[in-house]
Amino acid sequence: MRPLRLPALGAFLLLTLLAPFALNPFWLRILTEILLWIGLAVSWNIIGGYTGYLNFGHGAFFGVGAYVTAIAMVHAGLPFGAGLLLGGLASAALAAFIGLPTLRLRGAYFAIATWAFAEMIRQVALLLEVTGGAFGMRVPGLLDPNFFYYVMWAAVAGTCAITYGLMERSRMGYKLRAIREQEEAAETLGVATTRLKLAAFALSATFPGVLGGIYGYWTTYIHPDSVLSGSVTDQMVVMALLGGLGTAVGPILGAVLLQAVSRFLWLQMEQSVLYIVFIGLVICVVVQLLPDGLVGFWARLRRPQRGGNGAA
Amino acid sequence: MELFLQTLLDGVLIGGTLVVIAAGFSLCFGVMDVIDFAVGEWVMLGAYTAFWFQEFTGGDPMAALPLFFALFFAGGYLLQPLIQRVTAGKRPHPVLMGLLFTFGLATVAKGSALYFWGFNFRSIRTWLSGQNVQIGITVPSLRFAGFLFGVFATLTFMAFLYWTRTGRAIRATAQDRVTAGLLGVDVRRISALVYAVYAGLTGMAGVLIGALFSIHAGMGLRYTTLAFFVVVLAGMGFVPGVIPAALFMGLLQSLTAVYLGSRYVGLALFGVFYLTLVVAPKGLFGRGS
Repeated sequence: MRPLRLPALGAFLLLTLLAPFALNPFWLRILTEILLWIGLAVSWNIIGGYTGYLNFGHGAFFGVGAYVTAIAMVHAGLPFGAGLLLGGLASAALAAFIGLPTLRLRGAYFAIATWAFAEMIRQVALLLEVTGGAFGMRVPGLLDPNFFYYVMWAAVAGTCAITYGLMERSRMGYKLRAIREQEEAAETLGVATTRLKLAAFALSATFPGVLGGIYGYWTTYIHPDSVLSGSVTDQMVVMALLGGLGTAVGPILGAVLLQAVSRFLWLQMEQSVLYIVFIGLVICVVVQLLPDGLVGFWARLRRPQRGGNGAA
Repeated sequence: MELFLQTLLDGVLIGGTLVVIAAGFSLCFGVMDVIDFAVGEWVMLGAYTAFWFQEFTGGDPMAALPLFFALFFAGGYLLQPLIQRVTAGKRPHPVLMGLLFTFGLATVAKGSALYFWGFNFRSIRTWLSGQNVQIGITVPSLRFAGFLFGVFATLTFMAFLYWTRTGRAIRATAQDRVTAGLLGVDVRRISALVYAVYAGLTGMAGVLIGALFSIHAGMGLRYTTLAFFVVVLAGMGFVPGVIPAALFMGLLQSLTAVYLGSRYVGLALFGVFYLTLVVAPKGLFGRGS
């Protein structure tokens, strides 16, 4: 099985790269959305899954990225690429700035503090003049779905590759997991917890910053209630949870599944509010029955016997 | 001067209605270690229940408050084991699971309300609606009743907590679950009881809030936010702190709205909220858990 993984991944990547030639703009749009959510869920997993710090305000970085990119393009006349870079940097800088005081909080306190912080950012975006306040902001449009598909593809592939490399293939990942399991113990073993947590936080914020920038240019209109809405964070958390927290594949799986199902429901039903009920039920059922997500469920299916005494 | 007094009064009245929600919410955290994301949805369901009660019976929902309390008490009692299940035992990430499960419940409640009752705004009328008392400044009767109710219900609740055997068992469980269990407290029953009382109080507060403001499916989030705010300020799990914290929150809201403009209320609330967490996570009195 294992030797087949790399060719399978390559074939999958090639297939997704060729997708624009086979799909009409409508389906390409849905595929671009799925990519976006993969990137967001994977980025949340760095801080929420591997480090164990439940960031309930991660959407703020998505919104900040979207606004900074848009402002750079509209008010400073910068090209899209430069705006994107600024968006990512601004998100990382903001995370580093608020990370120092906020990361001292643990568990529920950290969750609530990040949530409050994200709401604060939304309120600021509603008040400022440069963001257009409650009127939202129009971004010059570029009507080329293929362009956005490839930009999104590259950004999300980069997000996944960097996350995989740092979390699964380097010492940083182990150290962060040590922090998650027991922070004091990790510290006594010589892990520089504060610096590492801060690095993980800033890293996890960079990706949504860039993705937000792409999103704003793609949809041509951003508003505090769209890019800074609490539901952005909610969806990332739910996707990572559904797939499996702190695993490489989990958030990808969760994002694809949840976004595909929600789009399917949205297409099938006129009444899109039933979708909200559906999401709520998914969360309740997953938390009750699959606390380690689909990845954990799959692992348990594959070795049901060994769970007896050792792993339980 | 009159404006200032009026602003102060408005703030106190806003805070008073919320005290009772925050008190139950805080105790829930103390006893069960659960942050109930669904707190605002209990308010929403309470308001809708009152609305449908008035539609079908034509009676005054204010007169039937005990009935609503009983109804939501039962709902909370039945729901609590499910919440307990995800946060207790050897499950991974109990904090996240508790937050997420109640978030899921909140989403189901909000979505169902939207689906069944639509996007319309509704309102209920009580015998106090639209009446004012002038004493130099204007005292809206219904708001004042809401304030009195909030303070009265909270004081009753505190009396129950501090002066009865069951109350002592609840406080013991909040202090140390395991030790309380070893000393013969039925921790499961106490947890279910606490959640039931909290749901009952919050549902009842929802009736009053429904009478004060308009009722709609999305109203819950606002009260979830305010409950979080008050409880963090009071110190999570420290019930006596919620009265001054709620009054402070009400004053902050009304003073900001009058002297800076209502656009700034949200920023002021969340700014103070975030700063409190960062500077004094144990609350203004340093007594949170």
